[in-house]
Amino acid sequence: MSESLMTRIARGEDAAVAEVIDQYGALVWSIARRLTRNPSDAEDAVQEIFTDVWRSAHRFDPSAGTEKVFITTIARRRLIDRMRRLSNRVPTESTDVLDELGFHTPDTAGEISVEAERAARVLATLRPEQRQVIELGLLQGLSHSEIAAVTGMPLGTVKTFMRRGLIQVREMLGVTPGEVAGGEA
Amino acid sequence: MSAHFLDDERIADLLVLEVTEGLDPAQRQELEALLAGTSGMPDALAGAAAAVTLAARLPSEPLPAALRETLIKQGETVVRVKAANKVQPLPVRKPAVAAPSARTPAVPVGTAAGARYGWYAAAASLLIALAAWFPRFETEAPPALVEAPVPSVAEQREALLAAAPAALKEEWARTEDPASVAVQGDVVWDEATQTGYMRFSGLPANDPSESQYQLWIFDGTRDDRFPVDGGVFDVPAGATEVVVPIKATLPVRQAALFAVTVEAPGGVMVSSRERIVALAQVASG
Repeated sequence: MSESLMTRIARGEDAAVAEVIDQYGALVWSIARRLTRNPSDAEDAVQEIFTDVWRSAHRFDPSAGTEKVFITTIARRRLIDRMRRLSNRVPTESTDVLDELGFHTPDTAGEISVEAERAARVLATLRPEQRQVIELGLLQGLSHSEIAAVTGMPLGTVKTFMRRGLIQVREMLGVTPGEVAGGEA
Repeated sequence: MSAHFLDDERIADLLVLEVTEGLDPAQRQELEALLAGTSGMPDALAGAAAAVTLAARLPSEPLPAALRETLIKQGETVVRVKAANKVQPLPVRKPAVAAPSARTPAVPVGTAAGARYGWYAAAASLLIALAAWFPRFETEAPPALVEAPVPSVAEQREALLAAAPAALKEEWARTEDPASVAVQGDVVWDEATQTGYMRFSGLPANDPSESQYQLWIFDGTRDDRFPVDGGVFDVPAGATEVVVPIKATLPVRQAALFAVTVEAPGGVMVSSRERIVALAQVASG
């Protein structure tokens, strides 16, 4: 079994850097583009994210999850920090202005990663409105109150949908606390 | 099924907030207190949020070529510097290290126009010729033959200087602030890796419950009114020299001026600039 890229980075193998960028750069860029205002913001964010990846590579534990989840976890954390720092949430008044992304089916998500496949399996069982809450919160960068405003759902319902959905996904992943966490706090 | 930390609704709510909106310092403190004594971790839902993100139909967009090149250049330097640190011997004499503190991030809002020029003016009017360079860290005695798995900040600074010849290094200039009267040292910044270190001697110890030092970096490519927050830090009592890693909250493309202020505990989003204790202007060209 070949060594993971994170292990090679942690060992100081600078030749692995380009491989990481080529393997995960588009993924991180796509996530950053969703959760930043414009390409310039996204470029700044991606640089922050990968700086964290290089510094945190030694924390990667292949038995706890894939590199894809490790890097996505770091990306999400940095982007959320950034949104808070810059008060950068996309102002949204209705769902009309949000392009719907949707989720892969378990079959197609399996091509992305085992975790994506498991998450897709959970998401497929949820009611459409609960899926919508999760999508708006995790992929469109809306706060709970913004989701309540654009969907017309009570804030408590939004929170419950989000909480239950994430806990179900967590259970499906079978992780123990903190196992897939990555990045510098 | 045993009682689980996620059964606690408040813990679960805070964990959800952590991966959706982020937590403010008070919420983070509350979460950590609630989790103490449980098996829960503050990022218990991070993997689930990541998995959901991966399961989304994100529009496929290639990484811009120029950004790819920048990332590779930055990454290779960071990895090289980290690798170099791993084999650095521990010096016999180490300066005290001031670790950056938790702080309130900088948000560039509501600052008067022309702020940087004000800072420059302050620099020009307050500069006092430095009496002498602060002596380089000495290794006159044979270094201990011990590998340092976690290199000190001072060692990381030395490694950065060795690995990044293009890194800039500027001396601190004193100001008229009483805390600045004996300040010496320098700031090192490497644009490629976005890493840097401040070295001080003569900067008075602070009581973190009353005030903290905060670094600001003026970036020539950004709006002059909005310096980048470079991190909040403390100087411990009794320290003769401190080395502080810079924690820039935004990428700095063209550092023009470094300024250290005294702020309320936790730092501020916009400095009133009432107390500037050190300045380092980057030489042009």
